[in-house]
Amino acid sequence: MRPGARRYRTVLVVLALSLVASVLLALAAGSVGISPGSALRLVTWKLGLAERPRGVPASTEVILFQLRLPRVALAMIVGLALAVAGTLFQGLFRNPLADPAIVGVSSGAALGAIAVIVAGGGALLGGLGVSLAAFVGGMLTAFFVYRIARVGPAVNVATLLLAGIAVAAVISAVMSLVMSFAGEEIRSIYFWLLGGLSARGWTAVEVVGPLILLGTAGAVLLIRDLNLVSLGEERAAQLGVDVDRFKWQAVALGALLAGAAVSVAGVIGFVGLMTPHVMRLIVGSDHRRLLPAVLLAGPTFLVLADLVSRVAIAPQELPLGAVTALVGGPFFLYLLRRERRRATARA
Amino acid sequence: MRTTRSALGILLCLLLLAAACAEDDQTFSASAGAPSSRATGAAASGATGPAAFPVTLTDDDGVEVTIAEEPQRIVTFAPSMTEIVFALGVGDRLVGVAGPFDDFPAEAKAIRQVGGAGEFGVDPNLEDVVALEPDLFLTIAGGDPWKEQLRELGVTVVTLNATDFDDLLDDIGKVGLVTGSVGEAEALVAEMAAQAGEVAAAVPERTTCFFEVYFAKTLTTVGPNTFIYDLLERAGCDPVTADATSDYPEWSVDDLLADGPDVYLATSESASSVEEIADRPGFAGIEAVASGNVVFVDSDLVTRPGPRVVEGLAQISAALFAPGD
Repeated sequence: MRPGARRYRTVLVVLALSLVASVLLALAAGSVGISPGSALRLVTWKLGLAERPRGVPASTEVILFQLRLPRVALAMIVGLALAVAGTLFQGLFRNPLADPAIVGVSSGAALGAIAVIVAGGGALLGGLGVSLAAFVGGMLTAFFVYRIARVGPAVNVATLLLAGIAVAAVISAVMSLVMSFAGEEIRSIYFWLLGGLSARGWTAVEVVGPLILLGTAGAVLLIRDLNLVSLGEERAAQLGVDVDRFKWQAVALGALLAGAAVSVAGVIGFVGLMTPHVMRLIVGSDHRRLLPAVLLAGPTFLVLADLVSRVAIAPQELPLGAVTALVGGPFFLYLLRRERRRATARA
Repeated sequence: MRTTRSALGILLCLLLLAAACAEDDQTFSASAGAPSSRATGAAASGATGPAAFPVTLTDDDGVEVTIAEEPQRIVTFAPSMTEIVFALGVGDRLVGVAGPFDDFPAEAKAIRQVGGAGEFGVDPNLEDVVALEPDLFLTIAGGDPWKEQLRELGVTVVTLNATDFDDLLDDIGKVGLVTGSVGEAEALVAEMAAQAGEVAAAVPERTTCFFEVYFAKTLTTVGPNTFIYDLLERAGCDPVTADATSDYPEWSVDDLLADGPDVYLATSESASSVEEIADRPGFAGIEAVASGNVVFVDSDLVTRPGPRVVEGLAQISAALFAPGD
């Protein structure tokens, strides 16, 4: 066994336990208290592993399975999608500042959603019309940015980065314009810009769940290429990686994941930037070790952040994007400092 | 070695997701089982007479709602609805109201408040609503996403949105229908119609007016399709905002200076004194303000489409045609 393997295994176990614990905590906490024990017993009963616990009112069941569980599940898959998309983009750009918004997906998605809301289509397809528009907007923007950066078969990563930033800026301006026509719809628009997981129900999970699992599976298949490309594009090409195809795949998967996440949860920052980064500080930058850690940490982070947003000033909710930055930022800075200090001590 | 671990991590995650997703096809009814035992109690008491349940109606959101049995656990999500329910004599069946604005009658203040949730603090807390196991949720227009979710959770949601006084009388009849107090509703509607008729009959001559909803650097008033506009017309004044295209438009002081309404109406919430209004830039030049023809209306009486609007109507009318008041 290689040195460090034991530590890595411990890290994974701790991450997995954190995920389970945060899910249970999120199921238990809320304006109607359900003890983690009751929650666990109800869940095991639902899974057919135990008898229905006695003395639990029917309304508790409804609250748990139709309000909290879909919300926690949505937090998990959205956290997963953003964290994996962040890992892909950071790997592709070999830049730790890359996040799921980098190729314009988030702003494109938000614009799609806002345009439909302002045009009065907020209720289309039972509200899913807005999600669909967000997804299409995100994918189109990513595709557009990719096309700008592509000359012949070759894609310059630096151009891709700059084009993404420029396009996002233009879209932000367009959004401000569209919003001036919003009138009474401004509330639902702010919801998109701030991001959040409230009042979504199971439908959102059912719609984007498969997309996100698909995108995540695709990312797992790219692990080897991600590692090789991190050695530099030329080395990767020499080692047999079809670099241009890899770039296309990474952008497509990242856009798919980020677009799916934004389409149901609005723009939630920091998860995609921070999760892969923090995990890299803990388990190293080998994607074979990094990705499994990210798969566990992304959902945990967003489940906890959403929990805070729900209960901090209950019954009102904090904007989820603000919580992710507020909770995540300081922790991130702490890890960054600690890592720097260690590096200096080693040198 | 490492690949197996990667696979393990992914598998774990997927497992958790699968567990979470497995629940969706189960539908629970929040009120299932609970009402049957209570309904017998109500029938025995017979307080509201024989009601024709089940009742089916299409509400103001265009949703067809069926109420199987006489509701015994009602949640209202608008102060006007709370007032109507109390006026129909079924206030004792209220188990939840929206928030601190549900302040009339005084008993309403003691009822559990389920509002204040959501990103903007104006949505109901769905968990609290479900925990109350209501068999009727009465509300006004707006909040489509959470309404849809409440319906999915098995809560009977009825939306009634009064656009003018006649519509309000109609809505009170509907509240009577869905709460099993048809007789009480008919009596209340007849009384309110009679009072409104008295006010209309007492109008000596029509006058022009302006209604201030609120002032915060810009002035907001009411358009012709609003409930308040209808009350003003019934009280005997023609608002100078007849050509407004939206319900609560911003209005320029210049127009007011030009139009010169006879009376300037403000609510108790938008301003506290004539001096305060006259101190705003340009307002002192408005004829009604300069001559002191400013009337303060209790906003609760005119902004809540409930039983007390007839009091608001009488208040406006009295102020319009009682010079020197």
